[in-house]
Amino acid sequence: MFNQSAQDSRSSAIEADSLESTTAVRLEGVTHQYGSGGGRLRSSDERTVTALRDVSFDVPMGSILGLEGPSGSGKSTILHAVAGLLVPTDGNVLLCGTDLTALSDAERTRMRRRHIGIVFQRFHLLPALSARANVALPLVQAGISRSDRRARATALLEAVGLGDRSTHLPGELSGGERQRVAIARALSTDPDVIVADEPTGELDTATGMDVLELLTDIGRDRAVLVASHDATTLSVADRVITLCDGRVDDVR
Amino acid sequence: MSDEPDDLPDGLETRRRRRWTGLFSLTVSRWWQRATGTTAGRIVSTVAAVALTIAFLLVVTGIALSLADGGVTTTDDATVHITPEAQQTLSSVDGVEGPRLGTTNERASTIRAHDGVAHASPVLIEAGRLEAGGDPQTVQLVGVVPDDESRTVAGVPTDALEEGDPHYANGSYDGPRTGEIVLSRTAADRLGASAGDDLTVSTSPRRTTNFSVTAVSETDGGDVGAPVALVHASELQSLSGAADGELADRMVIWGEPDASRSAAADAYPDASVTVTDTADPTALFDDGLAFATSVIALVVGVTICASFVATTMGMTVDEDRRTLAVLESVGVPARGRLAVIAISTGITTLVGSVVGVGLGAAGIAVVNAVASATVAPGAVAQFHPLFVPYGIAVAVLAGIVAVPYPLAVAARTSVLAEVGR
Repeated sequence: MFNQSAQDSRSSAIEADSLESTTAVRLEGVTHQYGSGGGRLRSSDERTVTALRDVSFDVPMGSILGLEGPSGSGKSTILHAVAGLLVPTDGNVLLCGTDLTALSDAERTRMRRRHIGIVFQRFHLLPALSARANVALPLVQAGISRSDRRARATALLEAVGLGDRSTHLPGELSGGERQRVAIARALSTDPDVIVADEPTGELDTATGMDVLELLTDIGRDRAVLVASHDATTLSVADRVITLCDGRVDDVR
Repeated sequence: MSDEPDDLPDGLETRRRRRWTGLFSLTVSRWWQRATGTTAGRIVSTVAAVALTIAFLLVVTGIALSLADGGVTTTDDATVHITPEAQQTLSSVDGVEGPRLGTTNERASTIRAHDGVAHASPVLIEAGRLEAGGDPQTVQLVGVVPDDESRTVAGVPTDALEEGDPHYANGSYDGPRTGEIVLSRTAADRLGASAGDDLTVSTSPRRTTNFSVTAVSETDGGDVGAPVALVHASELQSLSGAADGELADRMVIWGEPDASRSAAADAYPDASVTVTDTADPTALFDDGLAFATSVIALVVGVTICASFVATTMGMTVDEDRRTLAVLESVGVPARGRLAVIAISTGITTLVGSVVGVGLGAAGIAVVNAVASATVAPGAVAQFHPLFVPYGIAVAVLAGIVAVPYPLAVAARTSVLAEVGR
């Protein structure tokens, strides 16, 4: 669980104005161990697994960062830390100048709502909602009016080429269409950062290329972090970090 | 740090309202899609369980109300009812069936003399065996004092009875018997009797007399066709042994409500006076057995309903963890996610309660029909309009009792575990 006093000391003097104005994401010495906190029911002899070891990097606005590495190398853990879905055991994660590790759960949720869009490998659309309602979902919590939500979701679906599928349920869409709906959902709050975890992992090559084109377009005016095993997917990245056993092994 | 974005032009309250409205409509549309989709099984079974529980509760409460309120024979068009208080013995006498009012014929005359009172009549109810040449049938005999107006007592019009009560003869009970009897449609059908037929009526093996059918009502006795027969009050009192003390189960008064109530209170200051044309639910509080029955039904209903809702909604939430994880990933805070679960549980319970009220009304009709056709001479359960809010309120209470469990299941959802799958 989040320890407030520890977080207070860690929040330190990192301020927004100390970052370059173009830096969307900064990781500073991030280390994370699974099994070292956060669980409610935990046996005393549970072992910890170190997922990240002293990872640091920046992602400027308008760039795409690729994360590659074998399973268990820490790619998804980095994305979750950037999205504020987990608090690393050590180090700082700065999102648009705000240290996520110094925030409460509610504050991280708010930061995520305002600054982050997430694209999952398996889309994770709500099956009972139409494509448009799925895209509009993040706007509900933002307090946007119903008419504005519908208009914005419709425009985003048109932007990803699904204007004629807005009333369809996810079960009525192909894998590529679902992923495009998921991308539209990630863009609905106009976030500064998009994190995409294996965005083409469930798609065939041609559909995957369509999605990559979308991500390239998105990356022009925001930061995109893409985790993937696939070299083709990573080819859209301006920079690729290779992870191995939770460490940065290579940057190219 | 505030939970409100500061880059939107709308006010804080507006955004907050839109947020909750949006979450509510999101939950409703999700619930509807699931309830009408291919995976509707669990929601439908939960709604059915709530509905059956509420229906059971209402049927039992309807029986209790009937016990307390005297059954179908209260169906009349009178303005005011006077019934004995359960614990009162002042102007009433405790009979085998319960307390009765005393000196009713005399006091009815006094009540009739009040301004604003059109008519007053004692109502005596006795189960009797009627025979019209075929097999004897059990019928609810209802003794009344008719006047020259068209009135209804026990669901049967009094028009065909001679005005007044000549056999009463100022309390001597030696006046001429009219021998008139008016049958409800159900009673006539069972007896195979029609207007002009002679009937043998007995309220016990040693008390038998003859009546002549003056009319058969086109309407049934009460709500569900109870076999009822109207006779003159004094003739039934003589037949049943209630003449001694001029006993009756209730007094009914027609007229202006305030004047009728005042006249009733003057005549029977210690009795229960109600201005109503339907069953009185407060009668449940006056009858120990009925009250206990309804309370047990309430406790059992809430327990069963809450247990089922908690279990099935908990299982539903367990299957729905990925949705909660997605909501968290798009920035819906814990409070909002739990609200989605609570609203979903509330909708399920409410829909179940509405269906349950309908089933309860149908159940009461079925119980009455079965009872009427088999063991009872009339209706054994009553439906009251207050049963609608009562059933819904009980379901809401059960939902409130149940909701912590699905919320606890939801609160333990790990977004990382779910979105990583």
